[in-house]
Amino acid sequence: MAQISFKLNGVAKTVTVDSSETPLLWVLRDQLGLTGTKYGCGIEICGACTVLINGEPEKSCDVSIGEVAGKSVMTIEALKTDPLGARLQAAWLEHQVPQCGFCQSGMLMAAFGRLKAGESRASTASSLSNICQCGTFQRVKEAILGLPGIA
Amino acid sequence: MSAKPTTDTMILDRRSFLGGAAAAVLMPVTLGFAAGQADAGATVGAYIRIDASNTVTLITGQTEMGQGIGSGLAQIMAEELMLDWAQVRFEHAPVNPALYGLPGWGLQLTGGSTSTMMWYAPLRSASAIAAWRLRAAAALTFGGAVEQWTLAGGGKVNHAIYGVKTFASVLGKVASTPVPASAPFAGTKRIVGQRVRRIDLAAKVDGSAKFGMDVMLPGMVFASVAHSPTLTGTVKSCPAKASGALAVVNLGNAVGVVASNTWNAMRIASSLQSKVTWALPANRALLDSGSLASAAQALQAAAAPANLKVFETVGSPDGKTGAIDATYVAPFLAHACMEVMNATVSVTKTNGLVTLVELWLPTQGQSFVPGTVRSVPGLANLTDAQIKVNSMLCGGGFGRKIEQDYVLQAVKLAIAVGKPVKLTWSRPQDFKNDKYRPYASMRVRLGGDANGIGGLVYRNVSASISFQQGANPEDTGAVAGAVKLPYGIANRRIEFAPLPTAIPLGYWRSVGESYNTFAIESAIDELALALNQDPIDYRLRMLGADQRAARVLQTLKASLRYTGMAAARRGVAFLKGFNSYVALALEIALDNVSRIRVTKAHYVIDCGLVINPDAVEAQMQGGLVHGLYSALYNRVTFANGVPQVQNFSNYRVLTARDMPQVTVDILEGDPATTMPGGVGETGVPCVAPALANAYHRLSGTRVRELPFYPGATMSED
Repeated sequence: MAQISFKLNGVAKTVTVDSSETPLLWVLRDQLGLTGTKYGCGIEICGACTVLINGEPEKSCDVSIGEVAGKSVMTIEALKTDPLGARLQAAWLEHQVPQCGFCQSGMLMAAFGRLKAGESRASTASSLSNICQCGTFQRVKEAILGLPGIA
Repeated sequence: MSAKPTTDTMILDRRSFLGGAAAAVLMPVTLGFAAGQADAGATVGAYIRIDASNTVTLITGQTEMGQGIGSGLAQIMAEELMLDWAQVRFEHAPVNPALYGLPGWGLQLTGGSTSTMMWYAPLRSASAIAAWRLRAAAALTFGGAVEQWTLAGGGKVNHAIYGVKTFASVLGKVASTPVPASAPFAGTKRIVGQRVRRIDLAAKVDGSAKFGMDVMLPGMVFASVAHSPTLTGTVKSCPAKASGALAVVNLGNAVGVVASNTWNAMRIASSLQSKVTWALPANRALLDSGSLASAAQALQAAAAPANLKVFETVGSPDGKTGAIDATYVAPFLAHACMEVMNATVSVTKTNGLVTLVELWLPTQGQSFVPGTVRSVPGLANLTDAQIKVNSMLCGGGFGRKIEQDYVLQAVKLAIAVGKPVKLTWSRPQDFKNDKYRPYASMRVRLGGDANGIGGLVYRNVSASISFQQGANPEDTGAVAGAVKLPYGIANRRIEFAPLPTAIPLGYWRSVGESYNTFAIESAIDELALALNQDPIDYRLRMLGADQRAARVLQTLKASLRYTGMAAARRGVAFLKGFNSYVALALEIALDNVSRIRVTKAHYVIDCGLVINPDAVEAQMQGGLVHGLYSALYNRVTFANGVPQVQNFSNYRVLTARDMPQVTVDILEGDPATTMPGGVGETGVPCVAPALANAYHRLSGTRVRELPFYPGATMSED
């Protein structure tokens, strides 16, 4: 058993886990009930599990809960609390991006992390590596490129 | 009102789609207002619920798995009730095929692009009847006659004297109103045909949408499984426990592990796979893709292969097919839904006997769930009321979630541990234990001149889904896309010879058309090229009297002026299927490692009456992606029964950088006479042949075996 303290969506959190090796993804989903972050592949390819750790987009399937001790984690559930995040969500609805929607939490968090860090809309839109099996990429790009007020 | 298909010709009949899996009998459906069913509370009939805040909810048997069906069907309801879109919701119905099953099939499932085409007329009628009853209820509540009350829009009714009243204010009298056999339609096109925003998307951008995988229950434990490394192997013996596991359960076709979280369950299950003694299938040649390819070649060469079925024979094609003799091959494919197979089950016991099995499922096959539950030892006598199915959002389906394998495992796990269990497969287990899209070998012998095809002999040799299920030996699904062609071909013979295999098979988005359209549309292109004919003009010349087909191809031809695709890098293909017509032109370029990139794609679709043009466009964009990554990169091969696919690492799919701009022309039929056709699958079949046709023009090389780049991995460029 291990106790890990970190900041989750702006709030201090301490969790007790069987093993500090447990991936953050499964602590979020199974223990904390934050099911907006999805399991897709488990090997850092698909991006469905993307969250921000200290502001950086990270695939939470391959980050152990031990590694996030003392760090700040942001999940899709808190995206609306950031003005840019809320605008991104509004753009996703304006462009009717999701189909099944399963990958969209990770897609949004990956795009948000890059844009928030100052990456251009064009670079973000063309280089997101998240997998979407419904094929929403065209609308993902349009939603990002259409965001007003940033580079 | 009795059940009947809402279109003259159902291209996919229930039998061919489901084969032996369909046990239900086609039954009459009482639409909207089941005889003897009291209106419970605020429910108006079976499909429509109105609450105190005047929110109107469609209760639908169709599963929302990304295609937008919940919103699309709700548009049909909202139209006849003259609702404001903001007050409209939808939710998944309980399992009750008599009420919620597809009117054409009597089965509660989502597949074959049938939802809108089968529900449009009956749901429209049921909604109009509901509108009439709400007006009648207003008369009973406030006075006046039903004829004096009119729909006022926004979920309200109006009377010259009594004024405007909400639906909610008259609900108390709905149960007292008669149920007319029919009622007038509002028919105002305020909502049907409009680009309304999908109801389910707001929850899909903030993490609150609940997919099957997201179900959380008090006291729930987490499970995963390891199947036999060799397909169809079963557990001979397995360890009774494992370190870190709450339970180890022999599930027959897999070992199940229950643990405190999903990660523990997955890794313990994975570690147990080598500790289980597996009973392996005797004849593994039937599970080997190399052996199957050789067997398919032999069946193509044989004069009279076993179980040969001739589907169409017209005129005398032999001797008129000299120009082309080509064999096209489409591989086994995985479904690769973003949401892996999962199921959550809670079992209630009373006096030691199971009295309720409640399931939370991502499923597109609701009709089959009660039978799955009853197949578990000890549960055979459960009544319908003792099996409660909560249909969750599906994170992709593509046909995979019709299957019951994961459902059965979860029920067994819940029985074994006596607690609510959520079963989640790992991604490798999901890839390695799919119900694969059948492998198909298609030999096309074709001849003709500038005016059209003189003779066609077509033989499909494929692993047949319904053959494997022991039913429907004709398997019309195996030749879908090769029969009922839009082209006038006076001399033709269309054959099917089943390829014996033990590889588990399943329906995959666009079913038979996913491979037959590749062969037919490639071969026609080869003939056009050999005859120095323009591929669109050549197809147009062969169409005969089918005006819808001609309009679609003429529109595609006209589109070439504004899409600006380079003729030397362009390929086209055409599909008549799913009661719709789709033509695709795409332009390709070769990247710095000489691999194909699609630079532009343009669809023209006539899907009859359009419910939501934006949803049609979304399906074309998505169909392009699905068709593209499948045709370019993927096949699942089997070495003596062991699937060689691992994860997305060696099942390459698309990402944003690969996405071309897709444009769509939607041709609308006359709304007064046109019924909706299928949409969800129609974007896929033309992609592979259009790619092959474009590549032939660009490179001079004809690709007849898919994928273009076998062995592609996700990391390479």
